[in-house]
Amino acid sequence: MVIFLTRLINGISLGSVYAIIALGYTMVYGIAKMLNFAHGDVIMVGAYVCFFAISTYHLNPVVGVLLAMVVCTLLGMVIERLAYKPLRQAPSLAVLITAIGVSYFLQNGAQLLWGSNNKMFPAFLKGDALQLMDGQLRVSVTTVVNVVVCVVVMLALTWFTGQTKMGKAMRACSEDKGAAQLMGINVDTTISMTFAIGSALAAVAGVLYMSSYPILVPTTGSMPGIKAFTAAVFGGIGSIPGALLGGLLLGVIEIFAGGYISTQLQNAIVFAVLIVVLLVRPTGLLGKQIREKV
Amino acid sequence: MLLTVDNMNVYYGAIHAIKGISFEVAEGEIVTLIGANGAGKSTTLKTVSGLLRSKTGSITFLDKDIGNVPPHKLVAQGLAHVPEGRRVFLQMTVEENLEMGAYTRKTGADSHMEKVYALFPRLKERRRQIAGTLSGGEQQMLAMGRALMSDPKLMMLDEPSMGLAPILVDQIFDIIKDLHKAGTTILLVEQNAQMALSVADRGYVLETGKIVKSAPAKDLLNDAAVKAAYLGG
Ligand SMILES: Nc1ncnc2c1ncn2[C@@H]1O[C@H](COP(=O)(O)OP(=O)(O)OP(=O)(O)O)[C@@H](O)[C@H]1O
Ligand SMILES: [Mg+2]
Repeated sequence: MVIFLTRLINGISLGSVYAIIALGYTMVYGIAKMLNFAHGDVIMVGAYVCFFAISTYHLNPVVGVLLAMVVCTLLGMVIERLAYKPLRQAPSLAVLITAIGVSYFLQNGAQLLWGSNNKMFPAFLKGDALQLMDGQLRVSVTTVVNVVVCVVVMLALTWFTGQTKMGKAMRACSEDKGAAQLMGINVDTTISMTFAIGSALAAVAGVLYMSSYPILVPTTGSMPGIKAFTAAVFGGIGSIPGALLGGLLLGVIEIFAGGYISTQLQNAIVFAVLIVVLLVRPTGLLGKQIREKV
Repeated sequence: MLLTVDNMNVYYGAIHAIKGISFEVAEGEIVTLIGANGAGKSTTLKTVSGLLRSKTGSITFLDKDIGNVPPHKLVAQGLAHVPEGRRVFLQMTVEENLEMGAYTRKTGADSHMEKVYALFPRLKERRRQIAGTLSGGEQQMLAMGRALMSDPKLMMLDEPSMGLAPILVDQIFDIIKDLHKAGTTILLVEQNAQMALSVADRGYVLETGKIVKSAPAKDLLNDAAVKAAYLGG
């Protein structure tokens, strides 16, 4: 029982990070109707920025996270402007290939700038674990922070898309860009904002991911990127609650698969579950029945 | 003139959809553009509102050349376009749709919403309902109400009667007349030529991308060729 609960908690912890990353994929997909495969690498850049802020410049970790968010926000907007905007009318395959290209560009750029050797991300979430069930069950500070950040991000985004003018304009754009323009909404600005928000979240997720998997290399972002992409599809791409559900489920399945079956098969099992879900529900768990693109 | 279109030519790739048309709309008028399927009516409106571009000529609105102005900037200048097929935001509520119509307004959106609700009491009853669950007629009202939220000088309506039961068509046309009385200038595109000509001051007949006739609406209603082609004999 304790082992089960421990694994469940670890799964939720990891899943919270996936959910935050998945939000970036899902929001960009919802509005730009493209899969931004470079999203995972934005995570890596965020992690490096925070790493240097903490390790080299000895800044407060919170300042490090904020810096990473600023850099990633700008990076996301620049990527969109330079790589994707010129392809607005292009076939989706061209956009997909470009996104893969951007992904390699970021990885190689990181390697050039920061080298390919491992960097050890400093443990910055210090503090005693919560003790539950007479100390049998321990909930680490990392877990608490992951879950709290995920909940806060979720609530903030729900508020943003539901209550603010910009957020509503985003929803309008995701439904019908032509009609949105006729309302006076600048679609280009809205898409750019979406990349900005998704990339800022990627920075946060990158730093959180580092507190569980502290080895930082230029390819650090790929695996969580692909997993979170899977989570977004799993939950129903384009859906914000879907990203949360998909992220959490993916994290839990991954930890259970590793714990109860085999750590070697862990990832294979995760993707096998995705395939089964998509066979049964092609639009994902909470996805709407929408036209296929990409 | 409120709107002057001079020598508009629009292409979809190799397809030459609009072939050098010119027309104008004066302040306070209802002008209608009638024509068969594929004549180029929607294309014309989309080009005026900037969603498509004319290769030649000019489009002048309120004495400004708007031929290269992006569509999202035209709303604030007083041009509203209710597109064909309504295109309301189906996953947003009625009220949110109206808010989007007022997107460029700095002030007065709330009081304007009350005016729109006064015009369409049905929308007020359903203000919290998701637009996708409205009936076709209600969606048309929402599309028009949404466009009115920007308090336009010129409202372009693309087939507002499409797919509606006759009683609803009458209702929609009554509203068009009311709007006109209240001072809104209207450019109306319709396949229901009878209805359109009965409310309009002037009409243009569009055939495969060319304007073949332009006359006061009354005259068009009595024109033998127009009768034969668009008014069911
Ligand atoms: N996106 C497009 N790509 C290619 N051709 C198009 C496109 N949209 C319209 N056309 C063509 O342009 C011509 C004019 O179309 P348009 O939609 O303006 O006609 P319409 O008069 O509004 O017709 P309807 O009464 O059916 O709405 C048609 O021949 C149509 O096939
Ligand atoms: Mg049309």
